Amino acid sequence: MWKYCLILYSLLLAPAYAQEVDMPKLVTNVVNEHILPGYERLATRSAALSKAVETSCPDNLDAVKLAYNEAFDAWMGVSHLRFGPSEDNNRAFALAFWPDTRGFTPKTLASLLTDNDPAIHDAEKFTTVSIAARGFYPMEFLLYDTQFTEEPAPQRCDLMAVMAKDIANNSAAILRDWQAGYGEMMIKADNDIYRAPEEAVRQLYTALTTGLQFTAQTRLGRPMGSFEKPRPNRAEARRSERSQRHVLLSLQANRQLASLLSENDEDIDRGFERAIRIVEDLDDPAFAGVGSIQGRIRVEALQGAITLTNDLVAEYLGPKLGISAGFNALDGD
Amino acid sequence: MKTNRLLGYSVACLLGLGAAATAAEPVSKEAVLETYANIAEAKYADSLIAAQKLQSAVDALIANPSADSLTAARAAWLASRVPYQQTEVYRFGNAIVDDWEGKVNAWPLDEGLIDYVDASYGGPTDENEYAALNVIANPSFTLSGKEIDASAITPELLAETLHEADGIEANVATGYHAIEFLLWGQDLHGTEHGAGERAWTDYAKGDACTNDNCDRRAAYLKAATDLLVSDLDWMAKQWQMGGEARATLMSDENAGIVTIVTGMGSLSYGEQAGERMRLGLMLNDPEEEHDCFSDNTHNSHYYDGLGIRNAYVGEYVRVDGSRVSGPSLSDLVAASDKALDDELTGKLNTTMIKLGAIKSAAEAGFSYDQMLARGNEGGEALVMGGVNALVDQTKSIERVVSSLKLNDIEFEGSDSLDNPNAVFQ
Repeated sequence: MWKYCLILYSLLLAPAYAQEVDMPKLVTNVVNEHILPGYERLATRSAALSKAVETSCPDNLDAVKLAYNEAFDAWMGVSHLRFGPSEDNNRAFALAFWPDTRGFTPKTLASLLTDNDPAIHDAEKFTTVSIAARGFYPMEFLLYDTQFTEEPAPQRCDLMAVMAKDIANNSAAILRDWQAGYGEMMIKADNDIYRAPEEAVRQLYTALTTGLQFTAQTRLGRPMGSFEKPRPNRAEARRSERSQRHVLLSLQANRQLASLLSENDEDIDRGFERAIRIVEDLDDPAFAGVGSIQGRIRVEALQGAITLTNDLVAEYLGPKLGISAGFNALDGD
Repeated sequence: MKTNRLLGYSVACLLGLGAAATAAEPVSKEAVLETYANIAEAKYADSLIAAQKLQSAVDALIANPSADSLTAARAAWLASRVPYQQTEVYRFGNAIVDDWEGKVNAWPLDEGLIDYVDASYGGPTDENEYAALNVIANPSFTLSGKEIDASAITPELLAETLHEADGIEANVATGYHAIEFLLWGQDLHGTEHGAGERAWTDYAKGDACTNDNCDRRAAYLKAATDLLVSDLDWMAKQWQMGGEARATLMSDENAGIVTIVTGMGSLSYGEQAGERMRLGLMLNDPEEEHDCFSDNTHNSHYYDGLGIRNAYVGEYVRVDGSRVSGPSLSDLVAASDKALDDELTGKLNTTMIKLGAIKSAAEAGFSYDQMLARGNEGGEALVMGGVNALVDQTKSIERVVSSLKLNDIEFEGSDSLDNPNAVFQ
């Protein structure tokens, strides 16, 4: 008899979206077409970076830089997916610590090199090092910042090698976990992490809106500073002149995710198209232009276009899926 | 016969439904909001009372500088943190609190703005050219191109000129942490055991004065403490009957419930688990401690966690031991989904156990900065225990949003799109 009641209850409570959106299919598509290929690319290119450092540092730094830029590009394709395997063991934190608001990265690198810290020569020990000296951002200092490139420390290549190895290990571990069950678990949504397909979709939706918010608020907002006081030195990866490129790559990745989640919603896609056109037309690789009025206006327009796209997502996609975004790391101060 | 039985089942189901609803005691959203506001009123009133005690202790220290009067002032500061940290859950979601809290609890800070620092601190940085301004030693200086007369250190100077000087958030000139720095000084022990060791003679009169400018240091401490008291007094009034914070909360029942949940989730996840705990651990950096000068971080985390629990279960124990409680969000959730209420209550309790483990280890002598040391596995396990519990409870808080059908609310008004703090973005 209670079984009968439960059926009655569940009919009463059946959510409206059930007839419209096939949630397991959405999750399957995102996992197979967006997440897995993204992490495969990251794992492959990170392994190549590790090899390039081993074989070409210091004789052929151009080859190292090429491999570095390709691997960093791959990270930008997945940097918005901060959950599950990338959260486990703090892997994403160890791959990408930015923004570094208190200048920990150069300080930590300098002290590792000065002390000839044993971690430089031991990948296992290196995992205990501060995240300020692990991942793509400190590697940029070693490759592009004059503090480390002019009269380089004798241990620079060893430090880069252990850093690249660490990047490759973390990338491989994330991919392995996705392949070995996390993807399946997310699709099935019959477990304590995802109790229903709706929860898996909410996780993906949160990744999308957080990714857009981070690009508008942090990647662009930090160098913009205030009108009176622009802060070009705060631009992400400005030393390798990747700031503008990161905005482009993250928008492209989020556009794909949005398109899969919304089953090609044209209004949302037009929002992305507009923002991507603005960033492509911008000729300001390190956002140094925020210091001039002209330059600032262009970056502001880009920020506006991204915020608008996020609003479109909230207006069209959220209600269509019957969900709102969960909490994210930007909720704090 | 068959029809009758089916009919009988339906009636039984309806009765069952009714019975379940009354058993869980139907609770109105309005009553839940009222409890939440009453607790806020009590917490800010307690914070004010505790800050007034701190004010008396600071006055006594300045009048009669001694090791004892410094110790008494420190004890009063530590006590004042207990009610205040429990209010932090009100920050996110209540715009009036969020707009204000930077004045009283901003962190982290570049303390060299305020007073002398050790040589290892360094000077101005890329991020902050006033990181080593040292107002106590400098009665006049240039700030963002303007000549500043700081010969008299007043609450106005701190609040209007120095706080967030040059648009830099790390220029914290007011609030608990500025006062904490003036009472303890820099913690130069790194990830070793030990807090700041400022000597009472930093406030001594005449030749006994150490590190110069004792009178200006005392004036700074006095101005910052007076300001804290007046800021808390203002916020306490906003939660009284007719106060603006209470009125805003009560003006829209659904938005009010969203406010409670937003505060709980944002503090649990982005702020406490992320920014305050995990990041500090992964950077091995003791300056990432919330109460770094006094080594009080374990309490800061603990009472933040307790505040989240207070908001859900609708009860708070005041500094005089009396209890404020009433219909709660927990009751509201239980009425529609008992299992979810049990789940979240259980997770909030687990978090308190995990944060309690950090607190008890710290009180036994294994201080929070030691837990952050590179390669310290025991410390990492303790801190990550808290982080994981907070992340886990956030998942259930998100389920509450779905369960109470709060999903659509954020998209209704234009407010939600204009004010990211009001929603789950």
